[in-house]
Amino acid sequence: MAKKILIADDESHILHVISLKLRNAGYEVICARDGQEAFELATSQLPDLLITDYHMPCLSGLELCHRLKHEPTTSHIPAVMLTARGYHLEPQDMQQSGILLMISKPFSPRELLTTVNEMLQKAA
Amino acid sequence: MVIWADCSESGDCSRSIRSLVASILFHPEGARWALQCVRRSKILFYLSLLFGLGGMLYIGLGALNDLRGPGGAHPYLRIGSVLLLVAAAIGTCAQIFLRRDYASLRLQIQDISQRHLTGSHVEAVSSDLLPLTQAVNELLETTEQSVSESVMRVKELEIQLKVATNERRHAEAIIHSISDAVLVSNNFDEVVLANDTAARTFGFELGADRLPIDQIVKTSSLTELIRDMRTSGSRNSHRVVEHKMRSDQGMRIYKVTLNCVADNGDGVGGVVTVLHDMTRENEVAQMKNDFVSSVSHELRTPLASIKAYVEMLIDGEAEDHKTQQEFYEVIQGEANRLSRLIDNILSISRIESGLVQTNRKPLSLPLVIKEAIEVITPQAKMKQIGLVEKMTPAFYQTLADKDMIYQAVLNLLSNAVKYTPEGGTITVETQVNEHKHTVTTFIRDTGAGIPESDLPQLFEKFYRVERNNGMAKGTGLGLSLVKQIIETAHKGVVRVESQVGVGTTFSFELELCQ
Repeated sequence: MAKKILIADDESHILHVISLKLRNAGYEVICARDGQEAFELATSQLPDLLITDYHMPCLSGLELCHRLKHEPTTSHIPAVMLTARGYHLEPQDMQQSGILLMISKPFSPRELLTTVNEMLQKAA
Repeated sequence: MVIWADCSESGDCSRSIRSLVASILFHPEGARWALQCVRRSKILFYLSLLFGLGGMLYIGLGALNDLRGPGGAHPYLRIGSVLLLVAAAIGTCAQIFLRRDYASLRLQIQDISQRHLTGSHVEAVSSDLLPLTQAVNELLETTEQSVSESVMRVKELEIQLKVATNERRHAEAIIHSISDAVLVSNNFDEVVLANDTAARTFGFELGADRLPIDQIVKTSSLTELIRDMRTSGSRNSHRVVEHKMRSDQGMRIYKVTLNCVADNGDGVGGVVTVLHDMTRENEVAQMKNDFVSSVSHELRTPLASIKAYVEMLIDGEAEDHKTQQEFYEVIQGEANRLSRLIDNILSISRIESGLVQTNRKPLSLPLVIKEAIEVITPQAKMKQIGLVEKMTPAFYQTLADKDMIYQAVLNLLSNAVKYTPEGGTITVETQVNEHKHTVTTFIRDTGAGIPESDLPQLFEKFYRVERNNGMAKGTGLGLSLVKQIIETAHKGVVRVESQVGVGTTFSFELELCQ
């Protein structure tokens, strides 16, 4: 059974390119255009991994991760954070929010896929 | 020396006679007659100071009761009378000469005193007064020397006072020309000098007497800082601290520089406090940081798409021609977005810094607006948005840069199309106010509207209305550029009115040509 990945980004092109790359690699992908939609999809669909942008309308990527970490059903979901502002989070904050990795934009979809593969293998 | 001529039988130097001799020393005439009772006998004395001899004449004529005898005058009496006459003659002569010499001396001294003669000497009129004359002359020389020294010292002090006064004026001029607030307090914590900025900052009047620092600086933490500096600092102590202070304009941040003023010894004679208002600088620094962060974000976002799609094409992720074409279009679109973004940033930056030369010529606004409408019409048609024009006659002209005004109108029209749902209407209208001598352009849409809370920040760089963020792409620079073009480059006014769910009206007002 294919692993399910939730992607959250308000930039439709980014959302499209990541989802295409992951789908081509055999993953099941669900997409959200803001933080609130991502939270609702995560709690209802329970993905294996979350890839989220930092800066999003309604709910930021960091707030989204915080909320998911505090939900019993979603607290185990690992997250990868994309950021175009070069934000840096302390390891402690990342751990508390369930964020395993921060990736700066512009990024390589190829490297992102490799990272996702490694994460999901470790989780398995 | 004492001439002793005691005629009395009981002549000796008893205590009462000693006191008699002593009394002559302080007698104003220097001579006297005296009847003194010695061993129950009354004895007549004549006493006189002998100035020339440096001694005293002392004659005792014997007891009065012994002087009377049955056989006429006593032999002692006769001898005594002669001695008495001699003594009286000597004493009287001595007194006359003494008084004359003394008067001459007094006149010389008075003359010197009244005429303030310098280098004068008192002439000795007799050998009797020679020691006194010498003493007076020595005193005169010493006094003259002291006076001369005092005059020199006074002149030196006058020069020092002039120099000090000039230095104080220089210091005051320097302090008053400093744009920061400056307070100089002494070692009693009284303000002895302050400038206009300090008076404005702390709300006091310059020129008041030395007021205690507590009465001027109402913030106790700052007065404590100044007091601590004076008491715990050494003469060359220097300290810089950041200090927050509430004012009429809200909380302000100051960089406070405290310097101890050395006194005449090794101690601290006061404190110079300089307050540099950092509020605006901090705001500018924060705005700069925010701007760099926003620019970075805005540049990275389209760049991320371009990089990702190019890599997908290289990796062969786009299998069919249609997908490849779609990827190329995304790359082109994002590259254009990047280009527009850079153009807008540079335009804003140039206008803000005054680098852009505006080419202002008489311009008919309706003609420029029509050009912009033509460009935007295809996009409006795609959303079935109606464009309505209500223009004033073209002969009303304004002095403006055509390219800039075109850019501003195009940005406003582009926004209106983006945020107006399908089937909506955009009305472009110009109105002339001949009384105010202005022309105003209105761009009304029936779009989503902007919440009132967003209106104050609407023209800030990179500000986007979060509520409408999902409706369209944008850099958050379009309206900022409109404001810069109209207000900074053309001294006009931009306004916005909006109602959520009803629509938004942007307008800009420019002055008509003379």
